[in-house]
Amino acid sequence: MQTTIYPLGERALVLDPTPEAPLSWAAQSKLCWIAEQLRHLPIVEEAIPGMNNLTIVVRETRQLKAMQARLGELWQSAPTETCESRTIEIPVSYGGEAGPDLHAVAKYHNLSPEEVIKRHSEASYQVFFIGFQPGFAYLDGLPERLHTPRLATPRLTIPAGSVGIGGEQTGVYPLASPGGWQIIGRTQLALFDASRNPPCLLKPGDRVRFTTVEICL
Amino acid sequence: MIRLDRVNGLASIQDLGRQGQGHLGVPCGGAMDRFSLILANRLLGNEDNAPAIELASGSYEFTFETSSWVALCGATFEARIESEKEGKIDKRPLWHGWRGRVNPGERLTLKGPRQGVWGYLAILGGVKVPEALGGRGTFLAGRFGGHRGRQLASGDSLSLNAPAEASFSRPVGAVHRANDGILRALPGPEMSQFSDQDRKAFWHGHWTVSPQNNRMGARLSGEPLDSGKHLSLRSHAVLPGVVQVPPGGQPIVLQADAQTSGGYPRMAMVIEADRWKLAQARAGQAIRFQHVSPNQVEDANLEWQHYFYRLARAMDGS
Repeated sequence: MQTTIYPLGERALVLDPTPEAPLSWAAQSKLCWIAEQLRHLPIVEEAIPGMNNLTIVVRETRQLKAMQARLGELWQSAPTETCESRTIEIPVSYGGEAGPDLHAVAKYHNLSPEEVIKRHSEASYQVFFIGFQPGFAYLDGLPERLHTPRLATPRLTIPAGSVGIGGEQTGVYPLASPGGWQIIGRTQLALFDASRNPPCLLKPGDRVRFTTVEICL
Repeated sequence: MIRLDRVNGLASIQDLGRQGQGHLGVPCGGAMDRFSLILANRLLGNEDNAPAIELASGSYEFTFETSSWVALCGATFEARIESEKEGKIDKRPLWHGWRGRVNPGERLTLKGPRQGVWGYLAILGGVKVPEALGGRGTFLAGRFGGHRGRQLASGDSLSLNAPAEASFSRPVGAVHRANDGILRALPGPEMSQFSDQDRKAFWHGHWTVSPQNNRMGARLSGEPLDSGKHLSLRSHAVLPGVVQVPPGGQPIVLQADAQTSGGYPRMAMVIEADRWKLAQARAGQAIRFQHVSPNQVEDANLEWQHYFYRLARAMDGS
């Protein structure tokens, strides 16, 4: 199998092994395994998975060459099923003040708000990686019928715990932040807490289900 | 202990940032201009990573309850140390780029900056703050690190690490390197997918730092680079220094508190030796990119090593 490895700046390499293939959990679990193997090496500063790719930052430029060879080998030897899979339930209050865009999403798809909630909470999602913000999980598995364009004008601030849909993705904002996703609900669960160990509620491989605690129409 | 009597601007505790937390979505963070923080710490004999106060435009008044030494580097703040004796106020300057002694009860006032964006006030031994996720700097958006996870405010008090006796007794200063606004950079993974015209515009065009410029990133304005619009990429890790080109065609250069992943094309990567220049560039300031080879990157790192080597030589025995 061909592996693609390219540099990013002076101290980083990106392993992008399947650029043409469809997104797959099989590739992702291998990359997460490789990241775990490398993260604790003294020469590695960062090992950050993306969506079917992995970025490695080494401490010194001269270590790049060895790392490039190592990455190629690891990709060949990585086992395909590695993570024990947990299922994490995220309780959500849908609609109302917690989910100001629920009606807009329903209208966009010609569904009732109840139907949007049902589809969103019945699906099973998988965490591919954590990125963008502390504790923000990139989830795979949003039903196609709920794919919704982002807001034309992003909101200046979205409360922590907001559950949103942006394009083909759904997710929970761990921190209050600006954002362009359609917000359909909110959870009280802390996705990130710097004083907790581990600080993130979710990790790659976890299965996520949204459960309905409240519906406000 | 230092009492912050007046904080009228964005000030936070920063160190050299976090490592190995990117996979949790936690950015490197730390000082926007790492070299100025290192310089301020070295002038005091502190560890390079000792937490210091990072100051943005504004005015500040701090009272020292114990005797100490301070060093002021980075953006050029005007600073004075004031003491009151028998009703008379005695003022002496703390020069930019210098270390100076502060006695108990004396007040340090800072105002500015005249040039640059981020000033660094290092204090002998460093500011004492707890470690959070492998760093002591403040991650403002995440509300952790530094002093209670937030920017400093009037009325706060900061503890200092038990000051080892200063190993020096004289003020010493260092000349800062000049900011020529030229960001040396390596081509990014998606550069080859931009048109010739856009690549030329990127390397040879004149860019201006836009007002949308914060600890996460600096947006530049200039001729839009729009041939990358069609590129649809899977989300990937991004790092400080990455030059992203969103669909509008105006590049964003990521800075210390940048998000850990993104999906815009990576046009280039500003080398670590030059990232401070952008951090210290104000809105409206002109910026250019310069294409360098890996060997030139090494030379750029050596320039910094020489700078600090000369500093160490000059301070020897001071």
